[in-house]
Amino acid sequence: MEQITIVDGVRTPFVKAWTLFDRLPAQTLGALCVRELLERTEIDPNLIDEVIIGCVAQPIDAANVSRVISLSSGIPKSKKAYTVNRNCASGFEALTSAIEKIQTGSDEIVVAGGAESMSNAPLAFSKEAAALFMKLGRTKTFLDRLKVFTQFRPKHFKPIAVLQLALTDPICGLNMGETAEVLARKFGISRKDQDLFALESHKRVISGREKLREETMTVFIPPKYEHYVQEDNGPREQQSLEALAKLKPVFDRRSGTVTAGNSSQITDGACALLVMPEARAKSLGYQILGMIRAYEYVGLEPSEMGLGPAFAIEKVLRKTKLKLKDIELFEINEAFAVQVLACLRALNSTSFAKENFSNGEVVGEINPNLLNVNGGGIALGHPVGVSGARLVLTCLKEMKRRGLHLGLVSLCVGGGQGGAFILERE
Amino acid sequence: MGKSWNLHTQDGIGILEFDCPDTEVNVLTAENMAELRDVLVEIPKRSEIKALIIVSAKKRIFIAGADIKEIQNISTEEDAFKKAEHGKQVVQLLEDLNIPTVTVINGACLGGGYELALATKYRVASFSEKVQIGLPEVKLGILPGFGGSIRLPRLLGLLKALPLILAGKVIPSKDALKNGMVDRLFPEGTLRENAVEFAKEIVQGKINGISSGRQLKRKSNWFLEGTPFGRSLVFKQAKQNVLKETKGFYPAPLQIIDLVRRTCGRKGQSVFQEESRDFSKLAVTPVSKSLIKVFFMMEQYKKFPWTDISGKVPSVNKCGVLGAGVMGGGIAQLVSYKSIPVRVKDINEKALAGALKEAWRIYGGALKRRKITAYDRDYKMGLISVGLTNDGLRRADIIIEAVVENLEIKQKVFKELSELTDAHVILASNTSSLSVNQLADVSKSPERVVGLHFFNPVHRMPLVEIVPSSRTSREVLERTIRFSRTLGKTVIVVKDVPGFLVNRLLLPYMNEAAYLVEEGVLPEELDRIAEQFGMPMGPVELVDQVGIDVGYKVAHNLSEAYGERMKVSSVLEEAKQKGLLGKKSGRGFYIYHGKEKKLNPDFKFQKFAKPIPQEEVMKRLIYIMVNEAARCLDEKVVNDPSTVDIGMIMGTGFSPFRAGLLRYADQVGLPNILADLERFQKSVNRARFEPSPLLERLAETNQTFYQ
Repeated sequence: MEQITIVDGVRTPFVKAWTLFDRLPAQTLGALCVRELLERTEIDPNLIDEVIIGCVAQPIDAANVSRVISLSSGIPKSKKAYTVNRNCASGFEALTSAIEKIQTGSDEIVVAGGAESMSNAPLAFSKEAAALFMKLGRTKTFLDRLKVFTQFRPKHFKPIAVLQLALTDPICGLNMGETAEVLARKFGISRKDQDLFALESHKRVISGREKLREETMTVFIPPKYEHYVQEDNGPREQQSLEALAKLKPVFDRRSGTVTAGNSSQITDGACALLVMPEARAKSLGYQILGMIRAYEYVGLEPSEMGLGPAFAIEKVLRKTKLKLKDIELFEINEAFAVQVLACLRALNSTSFAKENFSNGEVVGEINPNLLNVNGGGIALGHPVGVSGARLVLTCLKEMKRRGLHLGLVSLCVGGGQGGAFILERE
Repeated sequence: MGKSWNLHTQDGIGILEFDCPDTEVNVLTAENMAELRDVLVEIPKRSEIKALIIVSAKKRIFIAGADIKEIQNISTEEDAFKKAEHGKQVVQLLEDLNIPTVTVINGACLGGGYELALATKYRVASFSEKVQIGLPEVKLGILPGFGGSIRLPRLLGLLKALPLILAGKVIPSKDALKNGMVDRLFPEGTLRENAVEFAKEIVQGKINGISSGRQLKRKSNWFLEGTPFGRSLVFKQAKQNVLKETKGFYPAPLQIIDLVRRTCGRKGQSVFQEESRDFSKLAVTPVSKSLIKVFFMMEQYKKFPWTDISGKVPSVNKCGVLGAGVMGGGIAQLVSYKSIPVRVKDINEKALAGALKEAWRIYGGALKRRKITAYDRDYKMGLISVGLTNDGLRRADIIIEAVVENLEIKQKVFKELSELTDAHVILASNTSSLSVNQLADVSKSPERVVGLHFFNPVHRMPLVEIVPSSRTSREVLERTIRFSRTLGKTVIVVKDVPGFLVNRLLLPYMNEAAYLVEEGVLPEELDRIAEQFGMPMGPVELVDQVGIDVGYKVAHNLSEAYGERMKVSSVLEEAKQKGLLGKKSGRGFYIYHGKEKKLNPDFKFQKFAKPIPQEEVMKRLIYIMVNEAARCLDEKVVNDPSTVDIGMIMGTGFSPFRAGLLRYADQVGLPNILADLERFQKSVNRARFEPSPLLERLAETNQTFYQ
């Protein structure tokens, strides 16, 4: 099979929802990012066969947001684009779709990535209220209109937060945070351990700012262009354990351990990667950022969705016949501190391996010093459709800086899935 | 000459096809109008014809209007009156036909063409973008003379018709349907079949099918249109607007208002004679003659073959801009407006933000005037990307440098760009006063270095000066010309001399104004005199508009290059010393508060005891430009006097009703100008008014610039 390479990538700064990018819908963030990728790589847009973008909260005013992004970034109209949604792994899915499209020969050069504006997740009306509004629209006379008006009740005007719904599993009925609490209880992970992990995330991002700058672009904010954003605004310089300890659990008020401080932030952003076969990259004269050795997705119990990485990592290592110790750098998305910690324990647990892995073998211990070395979603934020692509980009850039050969990125997926990539550099 | 009008019938529908022989364009001439008369008188005798449709055999054009050359050749009012009467009698025959009549518009339908259409009972058009409908006569200094000034108000009502005629506005078919100028739109491919069907349906009485635009007329505006008092308000307002816009230099719009005022609402035939009479008054005015000359000149320069390359050359699919100032931002906006992606580079984020701001502001204006939608704006804004590095420039087909006007910096930029990019990338400089050759000198593969001088504001000023160096390749020159035309600009190719053409002429004008201020003419007085001559802006205000810092820099460059005759006046030095910037900072020779301006009290302007006569001031301002233009012709800076005139009209707004600087000079008479220059040499300054050799030569033999 053809070796698939990532030539380069770029992302917008990750910005806390409802702050600086509040007025920028996903299509705008995506277009800015894809355009910057085209500029940085100096690729002729005519060579791009397809744009594949992961997006979970699809903008209501941009159906197939990937197509809108493709055109808005100046890629010719004759080129294709589609949007993918594997929930939190949508950024992964964009990349793996690109790989599959290239390997089957339907595309050669693809821009893959993610775009998410959680700020712009809409508010909805109940079905009952919508029916009334529809009826109202069909009336012709003033009297008819008045009649419909009288049927409205105050409850009809109460909007439903779509974001809230999107973060709730419709099978087990648990909110994502509640699934995190499930893992805290199952593995007995303390609030303090979670808070320590969260604090480390902030510290690592703060000290890694200079390095992260290499993967981010400057975003000038319309319509006044008075502000521009160059840095992720989630990390808190002054974050302390005391401050974290003061926060109340969000999902289980009385006995819970998961707080806003040890969960990922709700964030806006976009990321784009230029993907093509190795031979093509070389013929175009590119210095390749990295290659994809293998990838795997898994399904698991929705209420324990946070364990997705444990299953996915086991599977992808087994597939590639690699050992954990062969891997020199790790990125596991920090949806929740407890969920990452649970994965680490699961991977290193004999009983867990026996119960869950087909060969029953323990995978091993991941060195915390090699994991999320520049911080993660707790400090940076987790724009759901983007994080997958961001993890790959961040990991490859760090591998390049350190001169490493093999890396592994993984994330958990709402709804009960996990995904993992083995990345490679020569 | 062959036959232009062909009549045949199909299922009882007469199809009258217009096809001017041996040309791609349909225009109405005295000859083919006479032919049309012969056809029309026959139609009532042929009872098998139940309805008539008028179509064009040309692909892109219905009728482009009356033959402008015929109008240009009109020399007396009687002649003009006769021509208009002849034409409109034919049109009247069409209107008097007792059967349903339909005009089928498949392309440009302008002036006389639309006047003919107005005489049929219905008008249909295709959805195609080629369809352009309107009565643009006013732009040639005349008015619609084949009954259009009468019939359009009858069709649409006063409120809709008057602005259309006054502005000479040409509109696409979908707008024409909306306002009632046409009744139906059909697909381009089936237009004729659909029109025949349409005519049949009318005959069968199935359609009283007029557009909603027509039906709506007068309903909502009964007061302004239906009452004498309301109407007088409309005319008064229209007159005020016209005077404000034209400053009274153009008689046609005023005549139109007067004609419509007299004829609006009146029935009968006498109104048509009044139209002919007013038309004939305008047709012989020098203003109309000038405007027609300018029209032909503009048409000529739109396609002027500056090089001998006529085939395909690589187009520009991506543009780079260096320098995110007002010019860089404006250029980026224009390029993106034409849907070409553009990358802007500058040295800090603040500058980059400035370019985006500028582009957004311009798009905002277009949105307000409904020239674009919010979708267009967002898409086109997205085509502008910005950065601090060279990323995105390597792939550009052309890079336009618009950094600060400093040779050393520009040379550094060109050296770097030429090493960064492949040899096919055009490296263009938007310099206004530096030498393109000196930029080429430092560049790798200098044959791709060219001057591409835009005027401020970029999106509004229709001219660019393209300046090849001595080594610029023909292909690069041609590609730059095509690119500029894609951007909607008119191109003049100018030799690489300091100031090129436009600034080299304009600077003495501004400088002379400054000297006149020194001599005791108040700036306001000066500006008034220049405006009375027909300049769009007085010289002192122009200095403020250009920016005193920019103007000063250009003035210095030119004074270095041309010596004593362009020595910078001390008033300009003083303004520079005071740190004034001009309009952009709100303070220059004037102080600006919104639309108001008043003299800057920092200057001690003094009125001297012995005032300079107004005519003298005007002559000094204008003749100094004429003289410099003659030098330009002598030095082959431009190829032709008409290049000077098109450059001045489109680059500075030099009054079109005077048909250009050198046409004006020809009209005054070169011996007269020479005599005045010699007089000014003695009374004012020897160097500044030293007559150019060409002017002397021409004046001595009593010749003119235009041969």
